[in-house]
Amino acid sequence: MNLLSVCINHHTAPVDVRESLFLQTDETKIFIKDIKEKYLKEGLVISTCNRTEIYGLPVDQNITSQDIQNFLLDYKLKSGLDSEFFHHFISKNAVEHLFSVASGIDSLLIGDNQIFKQVKESMEIAEEMHFSGFLMKRIFDAAIRVGKRAITETEISEGAVTVSYAAVQLIEKIFSTLNKKSALIIGTGETGEIAAKHLRDKGIGRLALTNRTFEKAEKLANELNTAVFPFDSFKEHLYKFDIVISATSSDNLIINKQNIEAAMKKRNYASMVLMDIAIPRDIDPESSKIDYVFYHDIDSLNIIVEQNLEKRKAEIPKVKAIIDEEVANFFNWYNSLEAAPTIKTLRDHFEAIRNEEVEKNINKFSESDREKVDIITKRIINKILHHPTVELKKNSESGTSQDESALKISVLRELFGIDSNSRKEE
Amino acid sequence: MNSLVDFLNNFLPLLYIITFAVYFYDFIKENKRMANYKRLFLFSTLLIHLIYLLLRTAEFDHPPITNVFEIFTILAFSVSFSYFILELVTDIRGTGPFIIIISIIFQIISSIFIEDLVEVKEVLRNHLLGSHVFTALLGYSGFTISAVYGFLYLILYKDIKLNKFGLIFNRMPSLEVLERLSYLSAIIGFILLTIAMTIGVTWLPKAFPDFSYSDPKLVSSLIVWLLYGIGILSKVLGKWKGKKVVVLSIIGFVMAIMSTIISNFLANSFHSFY
Repeated sequence: MNLLSVCINHHTAPVDVRESLFLQTDETKIFIKDIKEKYLKEGLVISTCNRTEIYGLPVDQNITSQDIQNFLLDYKLKSGLDSEFFHHFISKNAVEHLFSVASGIDSLLIGDNQIFKQVKESMEIAEEMHFSGFLMKRIFDAAIRVGKRAITETEISEGAVTVSYAAVQLIEKIFSTLNKKSALIIGTGETGEIAAKHLRDKGIGRLALTNRTFEKAEKLANELNTAVFPFDSFKEHLYKFDIVISATSSDNLIINKQNIEAAMKKRNYASMVLMDIAIPRDIDPESSKIDYVFYHDIDSLNIIVEQNLEKRKAEIPKVKAIIDEEVANFFNWYNSLEAAPTIKTLRDHFEAIRNEEVEKNINKFSESDREKVDIITKRIINKILHHPTVELKKNSESGTSQDESALKISVLRELFGIDSNSRKEE
Repeated sequence: MNSLVDFLNNFLPLLYIITFAVYFYDFIKENKRMANYKRLFLFSTLLIHLIYLLLRTAEFDHPPITNVFEIFTILAFSVSFSYFILELVTDIRGTGPFIIIISIIFQIISSIFIEDLVEVKEVLRNHLLGSHVFTALLGYSGFTISAVYGFLYLILYKDIKLNKFGLIFNRMPSLEVLERLSYLSAIIGFILLTIAMTIGVTWLPKAFPDFSYSDPKLVSSLIVWLLYGIGILSKVLGKWKGKKVVVLSIIGFVMAIMSTIISNFLANSFHSFY
């Protein structure tokens, strides 16, 4: 199979290079339209912040993966970019690489679920742009199956691998459900925003924000439909919150131990979680000494992240075994699309039917007629199969496109149920 | 049949140990496939234990409540049985080994020291006494489970405070859940003990000529009952929570077990039957 693949990702290129080749959804569609006319008859384009990868079957044998790379560089006006930033894969290696990407083991954050969704979205774009032909569709199905199996059969996506998620995981070890709890996010920069969104996704009962620049907090509050406290007075409200996540860029502590002690007294020492994910820290670490105060900073959250990443790494061999199995299945199917074995299987299939029917009905004929019945039925089968056999042989001869021939054979096998029959026999 | 009872008596500790091993292996490895098998192991162990208790009752013509070692085997059964129901209802599966190990201890002591008493006082065949003992034992099972969850709460609380994110952190449910399980088990234990004590105080004076209100078992049970009563009331009123309540539950459990052992070995107690 002449599947070509050109990839630039976090293994091969720094972020600025990856960024320069990133294709937005609309851009991807135009790119597909252009490349379809010149180089690839069917394929797939995956573009995320960590990777831009192009897979496809060339319109003719002379087109190489280098041509596709050059096309991408020209398209993004980056023709001077070094070739060492790219990886090229062909045939089995290309399929294997796509499966690795879909399963998440090739991701920056091993087992990242996000990439599986992105691969599926890329496949939908390919379908929409009529860029997914008979072979690519089969590869897409297998890739999706790999992604799903990796998630369900292994623990490759288990556990939090970002600080924000680790904070939520830790909070869930203290409180049983979040829908009756309240949380305050101090600082609405990128980290604070992610933490707020995670809590909202987890169904937090009440969420409030505070930020030195009130307008910024207000903007996020509108987006998340939450309350906002002025930065100057938020400490007076600390006791109302079961969870406080602080992620400001302040150079000094903004909450001291006395603030927490006062809040705890007002709360009658109901458990309170303090997540200090700022560098330098925002909350006095001495607060951890107060009963029922669970104080954690970025170092302690990183312990959880590291542990989970190690666990995910240990799952890679299991995912690789799934990939190997699916690659083998795919190529078993693909190799079955050759003409000679198909002709033989087709003939065997018809002969089996003929034989079964003759045996079932042979007693209805006189002894002298039985031989004739056998000969006549064989002749009928031969005549029925004559034309398809000639056509298949023609397909295997040079001059006919390999993929076109594979398509015809695939349709034939499917129509006569040859694949399912041979699987049953296995 | 006696030989079958003897065989099961010796076999039960082994069964509990195997069940514990399966639960412990799952606790360490958290194997998804193992999760259902371990429940099957526990169910089989409980079924065999129940058969043993019924055979024993039939063979010796009295329920196995006549001495502390018979009581221990029932306690082993009721602790694991209560956990089995709890696991089915809550689907919290990581705490099994910590409770099954209690059953192992009770069953081993019982299996080693239990005696085949055919001749027992007639009063021990009375149904009201049976209700008294069974409710008391189920109550103690509640206290046992409450103490185990209380103990796990303290470990998890400490681990989270000290940033120790090991097996306990990964396998246990949340602190809130552990506290709630400990509290609910204590309430169930308290209600059952209240019933047992009510039956005891109203019926026992008639049944036992040497009944005394200063009986060590009666006094110690009353202290245990008061201890749990105070703990539950404080929690209901919102005065106490978290560590204080679970520590009280652990103290209550230790006292309950000690009172059972001590009163059964004290010669001057009417609660001693052999």
